[in-house]
Amino acid sequence: MTVATQALPQGRSQAQRRARAWIWLAALIVVINGLFPLLWMVLTSLKPEGELSRLPITYLPNHATLQNYATVLGFDATNPAPKPFWRWFTNSVIISLSSAFLSVLISSLVAYVVARLNIKGKGIIMGTVAAISMFPLITLIVPLFQTMRAAGLLNTYFALIIPYTVLSLPVCTLMMVGFFQQIPQDLENAAMVDGCTRFQALFKVVFPLAAPGVFTALILAFVNAWEEFLLALTLIQREDMRTLAVGITLYQGEFSFPWALISAALVLAMVPVAVVVVAFQERVVGGLTSGGVKG
Amino acid sequence: MKKMLAVGLTLFVSCLCSAQAATTLRVFVGGQERPDVMKEIFVQYMKAHPDVNVQLEVGGATSEAQQQYLSTVLNSADSSLDIFLLDIVRIAQYAQSGWAEPLDSHIPNKAALMKQYLPAYAAANTYNGKLYALPAFADAMFLYYRKDLLTKYRFAPPKTWDDMVKIAQTITQREKDPNLKGFSFQGAPIEGTVCSFLVPYWSAGGQLSSTQALDPNNAKKSLQFLSDLVKVSKVAPSNSAEIKTDDTRRLFQSGNYVFAHLWAYGWNRFQEDTDSQVKGKVGVVKLPAMTGGKAATCLGGWEWAVSSYSKNKAAAADLVQFLSSKQVSKYLAVNASNLPAHTSLYNDPDILKVNPWFKDALPVVRSAQQRPVSPRYPQLSTTINSNVNAAVAGVKSVDSVVSELQSKVPALLK
Amino acid sequence: MTSAKPVRRELTEKQLAFWMLLPAALLLLAVVVYPVGRLIYTSFFDYSNGPLNPPYRGTGNYQQAIHDPDVWNALKVTLQYVLITVPGGMLLGLALALLANLPYRYKWPVRLSLLLPWSMSMAFAALIFAWFFNSDYGVVNDILRRLGMTAPNWLSSPQLALLATSWAIIWKTSSFVALILLAGLQTIPEEMYEAADVDGATPWTKFWQITLPLLKPAIIVALIFRTITAIQTFDVPYIMTSGGPGNVTTTIAMLIQQQTLQYGNFGYGAAIAMVLFLFSMIITGFYLRHIQGDS
Repeated sequence: MTVATQALPQGRSQAQRRARAWIWLAALIVVINGLFPLLWMVLTSLKPEGELSRLPITYLPNHATLQNYATVLGFDATNPAPKPFWRWFTNSVIISLSSAFLSVLISSLVAYVVARLNIKGKGIIMGTVAAISMFPLITLIVPLFQTMRAAGLLNTYFALIIPYTVLSLPVCTLMMVGFFQQIPQDLENAAMVDGCTRFQALFKVVFPLAAPGVFTALILAFVNAWEEFLLALTLIQREDMRTLAVGITLYQGEFSFPWALISAALVLAMVPVAVVVVAFQERVVGGLTSGGVKG
Repeated sequence: MKKMLAVGLTLFVSCLCSAQAATTLRVFVGGQERPDVMKEIFVQYMKAHPDVNVQLEVGGATSEAQQQYLSTVLNSADSSLDIFLLDIVRIAQYAQSGWAEPLDSHIPNKAALMKQYLPAYAAANTYNGKLYALPAFADAMFLYYRKDLLTKYRFAPPKTWDDMVKIAQTITQREKDPNLKGFSFQGAPIEGTVCSFLVPYWSAGGQLSSTQALDPNNAKKSLQFLSDLVKVSKVAPSNSAEIKTDDTRRLFQSGNYVFAHLWAYGWNRFQEDTDSQVKGKVGVVKLPAMTGGKAATCLGGWEWAVSSYSKNKAAAADLVQFLSSKQVSKYLAVNASNLPAHTSLYNDPDILKVNPWFKDALPVVRSAQQRPVSPRYPQLSTTINSNVNAAVAGVKSVDSVVSELQSKVPALLK
Repeated sequence: MTSAKPVRRELTEKQLAFWMLLPAALLLLAVVVYPVGRLIYTSFFDYSNGPLNPPYRGTGNYQQAIHDPDVWNALKVTLQYVLITVPGGMLLGLALALLANLPYRYKWPVRLSLLLPWSMSMAFAALIFAWFFNSDYGVVNDILRRLGMTAPNWLSSPQLALLATSWAIIWKTSSFVALILLAGLQTIPEEMYEAADVDGATPWTKFWQITLPLLKPAIIVALIFRTITAIQTFDVPYIMTSGGPGNVTTTIAMLIQQQTLQYGNFGYGAAIAMVLFLFSMIITGFYLRHIQGDS
């Protein structure tokens, strides 16, 4: 591995023992900070709504219940109009995955141009790409709505896939530029000497070597799309086409905010994504880099 | 089987009709406005009007989320929506923006129709002399109190805010329950806080409208009253500046408060929620008055408006009149427990059977006042609520808030 | 590329660049150019009396923005968020990335605390933290009370509101930083550390002399986007404090949202958005020059 292997104190000197203690302390703080709010959310989702306004507050649920999950998933017989949670979930998966792949594909082409090709105006390309992210979405929403309406795309997946692809373009491009720059030109040249075209070299040599970057970009783009709310609220109005980010907010009322119910919906929305993301990290990123980029 | 046949037949017929010439009307309502009940109302309408096909579009849960969507759609001059359900405070903005269609020409007997509603609605739905919307249902701010505790200490429900403070202090002292607090009101920078400010302001004699400027003395009285609740009498908790509408509901429902200042939706939650700690222990009255003043409360509710971009305005106006009719109002009162906007329905036995407390609500909604009618109301609201919030939080002094309101409010009432 | 390259080759590079940039360019034309053009155009009109035939106002909206105390306050608040949450998110993100990259066997808690916050949208993170910091039922105050300390009103006292909202932002965005940095860490060649070991370098010197310099491209990418998103801080204060107490946590993006979608002052909102854009552009231009200087 990399920094890690080396930074890991293996000797028995006092300095290294101290370093190890610091690492443990840092890990403890970081883990508690990162996971405690989520643990709290899970605990909240297992409590009946009334238990949330009991004083003193309870940590573990007094009367643990799965009722909130049943309500979210529509198993609750008393609920006259259950919300289509899984449908929203599927919509979100389709939209987020499509836009993430598109975004990574398109941005890697741009990144390749900037990192590898000998042309003028790279600064302008990079500047333009970065500038996209500097307009708050709120200000673009009326014209975007008009564009999508003119194209007849309102209430379709494309209405969101297209803008989400653009949304992640800047971060993906800038990241990939960094990765492409670190891949030795010789490797690519060698592939071309072996008869590969430039495109083939890109997909057979550069892409695999930049795998940590590619997969990180995928994760970033996926979540950017997964969590977006404003466009999803406006460009999709049909209930069965809604995304999860908007759908979850529909569990609240004009005033009322059922914390336990929404916590359950959040847990359900998070678990599958978390599993996918962790699997990505562990399998692909961890695996490929052990081969590493050897200069 | 018979039912299915009937449904099938209806579908068949409606298909036939839509193939002929049917008018399609798209109606936008918020996610919290019981779309399931609305759908049934539309079915009733379509039965009577087989040439009309009514479709429902369900928006975000909060008034703000709906506003974001509607202002995007309407700014694009989009004709896909024919009718929308609006928060009462937005009518003037939609009228001034040219988004809502004036209904005068579509309603033959306007004066007679408006008399059926609670008095404040005629004014609230009129802008520059034209009628822009009809009420769907009513709402108002109430004083909820713990009947059991007031009875135990032999208090009648308070008529003035000073009484309320005294009662709350006495009960919290004698009960010796460390968790029991006196009074919950909204102090966060949200719409409800505008009402928290206006109710004592009105009661002290202040008025606020395009013709009546902010009265600094009464504004000061109101702000001082709210600030003293938190800092002097301590009847309201120190975190009052964080309290949003549903926090008040939650706090009162958990049995930790003697009084609460809240919209009508609280009642059913207090009485019917399985986790309610105050079931059967709640009373509801008109909000108290400032000493020497007259009791006042904030009018709420939702209104049906026709989009000025609609391609079927006449049909839409007809549907709006149906949706605002006594018949539908009653249906909504029975099936969704919405307070009717029709005065006469408060004595309706069918409604009182389901919602007996509507009897007590009538004098309150009758006396309710509308918040200032202004096309700039959203901005006025933010200006008032963030300043009142600052005074309640103690970030700004009462005097500096009054002078800031005096300098900013006039431009927003034009 | 050697100098012996024929002229034809030069042309192909340009052509290749053209084809590789084309998809991105088309996408931008479709969803960015028109909305941004519209935004600039709108910023010269006066919508304060409604959107019907708004009168031309020249630079009036910009002048109004410059003299609007609310804009200045919002800029100040936004700058506070940038100054707190960018370094906070970067440091926590770096710690997460370094810890996640250590070859310990049980690093899944660290990886989970790195990834899970990222799978939660900013708005939902804000909801969780709002519940967390709730004065009456929040776990933070409960812990403080159990420790015998006074429980403050987190969301209604000026400094604490800023702190609590910043905490939520740092919690969520440190994942983004960590993901980018982790990918960057994995491209650092192992040989560099091995060579340093031979020289008897301590973990500290290796960190300062190898890890940090080689991580610079990734750090800059993370920094650029963390800064741009911090400048657009919206969801967290909007949900946790609604901008209060008073306007202590009202950011520039919240002001734009109010002006455009709530008040209907599209022209004025657009002008503030352009100010925000220029602000982001200046900062990003500074970072981008750094990247270019490197390559």
